[in-house]
Amino acid sequence: MPLYDALEGSGLRHVLTRHEQGAVFAAEGYARVTGKVGVAIATSGPGATNLVTGIADAKMDSVPLVCITGQVRSALIGTDAFQETDVFGVTLSLTKWSRIVRTIDEIPEVIAEGFHWARSGRPGPVIIDIPTDMLKAKKEFSGPVKFTPHARPAEAKADGGFTDTIVAMLQHASKPVALVGAGAKLSGAIPDLRRLLDKLNIPAFATVHGLGAVPPESPYYLGMVGMHGTRAANMALHETDLLLVFGARMDDRVTGEPTRFAPHAKIVHFEIDPAQLDRVRPGDLSVIGDLADTIPAFEAELRKQAIPDFSPWRGIACGPERAELDPRGFAQPTIRFLDELFSRLPQDSVVITDVGQHQMWAAQRYRSSSPRGFITSGGLGSMGFALPAAVGVQLAKPDTCVLCVSGDGGFQMNIQELATVHRLGLPVKMVIIDNKYLGMVRQWQQLFYERNYAETDLSDNPDFVEIAKAYKIPARRLHEEAMREFPVSNYTGDLIDGFLHSQGPELLVFDCHPEANVYPMVPAGAALSEMLLEEEPTQ
Amino acid sequence: MQAFQIRYRNTQGTLMRILNAVSRRGLDMPSVHAGPAGLEHEVTLVLTVNPKQTGQLCREWYSIPDVTNVRAVAAQPSEWTTAHPPAGVSMERPAARA
Repeated sequence: MPLYDALEGSGLRHVLTRHEQGAVFAAEGYARVTGKVGVAIATSGPGATNLVTGIADAKMDSVPLVCITGQVRSALIGTDAFQETDVFGVTLSLTKWSRIVRTIDEIPEVIAEGFHWARSGRPGPVIIDIPTDMLKAKKEFSGPVKFTPHARPAEAKADGGFTDTIVAMLQHASKPVALVGAGAKLSGAIPDLRRLLDKLNIPAFATVHGLGAVPPESPYYLGMVGMHGTRAANMALHETDLLLVFGARMDDRVTGEPTRFAPHAKIVHFEIDPAQLDRVRPGDLSVIGDLADTIPAFEAELRKQAIPDFSPWRGIACGPERAELDPRGFAQPTIRFLDELFSRLPQDSVVITDVGQHQMWAAQRYRSSSPRGFITSGGLGSMGFALPAAVGVQLAKPDTCVLCVSGDGGFQMNIQELATVHRLGLPVKMVIIDNKYLGMVRQWQQLFYERNYAETDLSDNPDFVEIAKAYKIPARRLHEEAMREFPVSNYTGDLIDGFLHSQGPELLVFDCHPEANVYPMVPAGAALSEMLLEEEPTQ
Repeated sequence: MQAFQIRYRNTQGTLMRILNAVSRRGLDMPSVHAGPAGLEHEVTLVLTVNPKQTGQLCREWYSIPDVTNVRAVAAQPSEWTTAHPPAGVSMERPAARA
């Protein structure tokens, strides 16, 4: 309460969400789309613990976040006072840095240091826990302070020599590829990266967080890689003999079975955070440093060097025999719907997804060349992320079309933020892909647990259209039959256009077949080359 | 057994972050000794780890903001035979003594 009392007239804009998890995801959305630090505040006890999932999400996806939590007054800390939680301890392994404020005098320094660590190096979440007596105390504010980090021993820096080594590796390679992750985007080195890839002219693909870093129309670009990546990307990654990794930590969703990941490849890893090296496979050359420095250095050096012509390999990897198959099976109408939706989006729109099948369909089908145009919870995979994150994105980009794509399961996990959307009048366009299941789990149950759909049935979902209307948000439903007509009818096209271009918020519920599946799919324990490509025959 | 010497600024939570990097991997910590070392602090950990874990731990410790140096050294026999908890601390519950 003392903090809220002081906020009045402070010039700071406060956005009230209906749940603290909504607040932290909204702050993440703001941070992810702008690259600036997002800020979420919560009260002590349950308010603070409700932030935890968002903090973990920000840690996994390198999102700069400052969370400020209230704490019981200093004298009561450690007494199990009402609404006391050791949020410092709870979040210790999830945060990059954290502090419990002990005197009012240190608050300016603590805030400055918290923002420094949130955005420096590999960005991440920090937490600042402030006892209520510190919030009530008064002190003359003498202006913001600048934090100067303490000197550390010289970190391993990439020197110019690495470029010669990589060029030599390229000279000996016959099937080089480039893997682009979030780090390339976070560094701000996208123009340099694109020039570099144009020069290399080798097959390139992206992690889910790397989408948008490479223009999808690039002749060497193969789309997303990994568990639900494209056939061409996964095949190329499996066959490569030289893998250049730009800012990706190669988690298990990208590698498939780690022991069979890129089995023929030497690996060159450009990375800012040494902790991300060699997690899955030891690299052959690690280029440690900010990609904003190392990529331009490599690109500049490469301009002076002759590199082999990899056209024959590129012709195979990017050739028509590995092109994506047309959508088929029960998922076909949903994929067509997403294609229609995305094709009608205004330029520079931002698509936010939740977690599950719709997330992977959207990642496969949305072709954006905007580095911050596709936002999703990738590392932690937090259902309930999309709607509040879309709030944060729309607040940061009030004039941009913000499309929030959720599943019926995830949408209900933070459905209360419809109230925030309505209160703020945010023109967020919300889509629910409604298959009346926890679809991705059901898909695994179908394929690997003999269709034992245990506890994934959501056939008693509420009527989302009526719920939205109760929040005073217009809503409509589109049945998948409308997408069996190809191309779509004028009526359906007009409906989608009307939805996307309406002035205020709107919800569109798309009825999806309950047994629609996401393909390609790399089963657990399989190599990337062992994708499932087609629907299993129905029984 | 492998010993690690980690220098750090003794700010809130830094030692706990160092120990968390071990405990999150489910590793036992048979010997932990922390104390002042010059202007900073140093913790010596003796762990049973494989080479891959050694590399991961060293890199993860180094990414902690207030860690200033990380060294992996050969463990001295005295370090892994030291009782943990430290000798002199009774594990008996007061009620059991009564």
